[in-house]
Amino acid sequence: MKKRLLSAVLGAAMAASLLMGCASGGSSEPADDSKAETEDAGEDSGEKTAADYKIAVVPKMTNLAWFERMEDGVNDYNDANGTDVFYGGSPEGDGQAAYVETLISQGYDAICVVPFDVEALDPVLKKAKDEGITIICHEASTVENMDYDIEAFDTTEYGAHLMEKIAELTGGEGEYIQTVGALTSISHVEEADGGKAYADENCPNLKMAGDKIISDDNEDTAYNKVKEALTANKNIVAIQCAAMSETPGAARAVEELGLSGKVHIAGTSLVSVCGKYVESGTVELMSFWDPALAGQAMIELAVATLNGTADENLSINVPGYETLTLEGNVYTGSAWIDVDADNVDDPAYDF
Amino acid sequence: MKSIKWKEVLTSNQMFIIYIIAVLSLAIGMKNSAFFDFSTVITLSRALLVTLCFAICEMVVIISGGIDVSFPAVACAALYIPVKVMKDADIDSVFLAFVFAAVIGLIVGVVNAVLIAILKIPPLIATLGVSSMTSGALLTFFGTREISRIPDSVSALSKVFILNYTNSSNVTYSLTVFILVPIALCIAVHLILRYTMLGRGIFAIGGDQNAARIAGFNVIRLQFIVYIFSGVMAGIAGMIYCILCDSANPLNLMGSEMMIIAAVVVGGTRITGGHGSVSGTILGVILIALIQNNLIMLGVPTYWQTFVVGAVIVAGTSITSLKAKAVEQNQKV
Repeated sequence: MKKRLLSAVLGAAMAASLLMGCASGGSSEPADDSKAETEDAGEDSGEKTAADYKIAVVPKMTNLAWFERMEDGVNDYNDANGTDVFYGGSPEGDGQAAYVETLISQGYDAICVVPFDVEALDPVLKKAKDEGITIICHEASTVENMDYDIEAFDTTEYGAHLMEKIAELTGGEGEYIQTVGALTSISHVEEADGGKAYADENCPNLKMAGDKIISDDNEDTAYNKVKEALTANKNIVAIQCAAMSETPGAARAVEELGLSGKVHIAGTSLVSVCGKYVESGTVELMSFWDPALAGQAMIELAVATLNGTADENLSINVPGYETLTLEGNVYTGSAWIDVDADNVDDPAYDF
Repeated sequence: MKSIKWKEVLTSNQMFIIYIIAVLSLAIGMKNSAFFDFSTVITLSRALLVTLCFAICEMVVIISGGIDVSFPAVACAALYIPVKVMKDADIDSVFLAFVFAAVIGLIVGVVNAVLIAILKIPPLIATLGVSSMTSGALLTFFGTREISRIPDSVSALSKVFILNYTNSSNVTYSLTVFILVPIALCIAVHLILRYTMLGRGIFAIGGDQNAARIAGFNVIRLQFIVYIFSGVMAGIAGMIYCILCDSANPLNLMGSEMMIIAAVVVGGTRITGGHGSVSGTILGVILIALIQNNLIMLGVPTYWQTFVVGAVIVAGTSITSLKAKAVEQNQKV
């Protein structure tokens, strides 16, 4: 199956480069035309859509379930809108800068990219911008050479969102622990701190027990450390997990100790990874953002930028991105998806 | 005469590790009395179960004068491929899962052995290359998606316990049946290393390959046995890990090799080969598991935990090394 996927991507890349080669080889006039039209169209009612532009979406890496899901999102977008947005990238992420560099010469109007290594990619993006290509980033607000970055949500707010659920489940009484993949994982730490800030402010009797627990993004490590923490401190009533693999690890520890229902878990994960613990009720709130929707939001933002309609009132027609806040050149949505026992069977979340 | 023997016992490598473990346990117990509960034994056994299987394999390889860094990749392949294939083909068999895992381990073990024993590639480089190939092939051809619903009968094994203990606050700790695997493995390896010609041969080739050859040991055959044993056991341990996690993840175990080699070396096995014991390795694994899991109880700040893990490894190996030096000097006198 992997092979087929690989050949499909290769084929698509070859076809794209062929087409692009012709376009750029012919002359640069068509591009100029389209730009002129864009300016005119701004006044008219008929706004340009993604079908009028050549757009590429480059994930952090293709060899990861998360970005396979993003590819599904881009394909769905193409099917729904009759567009031909290209999706492709470096399998392990390390070749991303070189990959984007090859796209520059192919006449794209916009490149949407989830940077793997910001420092390596930024000079290439500068080159792309110099060529007049619109750059949209995701999960990378620190990139210098881009038009806009779009984030699914504010991680601090998201952490508070998880803690709000914990406060509700525990009645605001007792102690809780937080797990993060690593202390250098900025989004995890922001998320945990956001949760703590919410608890400190709203629940005077809900206290954090000890330090953040580090899981190395490893399910088994999370399991062992959470088990240890629960043994050491009997007052723990809730666990907030930041990394995808921690939530099932923590859930397994709670289940094996027979503490389901006494210790509440709210954390980030995916249905495919943690669904069974949501079904059994050990994990009472599981949240994530959908990489498929993030991919679609990037495309829509690219179109809006090309149309010149990207301002602070921008609304993107993708669930969770309808209301955006703009700070600097970073758009932030509220696109977290909550899953609990009631909607865990929803086929739309089965990834 | 008798007093000298006592001194030897009290200053042996293993006793030093026992001292460290005792001091650490006391410190943890004084800080948090929950540690002195019987539940700690169960939690710790569960935490070090798979690590111990890996460590015993690694110890045998190191005693033979080699090193194997491919076992995490072998374990990942051996847990992921069978589960994936069984899921896709809708087969649900515990027997097949373990045989399949062992066969994958066997294949990689044979490749390692050919590279090391016949092509004479340095073991670190050979197993590093094989590790990368195994992991890369696994991720490319079988995917990266974690499988959280493993076949029912296999999954059911994760809830088979041989011991249940309920503590005073009514929390139940259960000991998995899989604890019997490392116990059996330790006994078997101990007996083979100490009391059979095969075991003597493994020590001999680790001490000096040429001398062993001249003494009549078949070096190539012994190396094949060692690496195949390591591969097969890594495969089986991978499947056990998968069952205990109740999910198949093709990446989780990657990167665990260094901590396991550290546990083996802390346990008195000499990295240059020819020396080592099962009891020492068990103690090394216990020590590492203790510091990895129980620093939370001790209230060590998160940043410092990594430091403490490193410090204990350095202290543990220094004692072993100093002891070895002292023994050498004594012999000269």
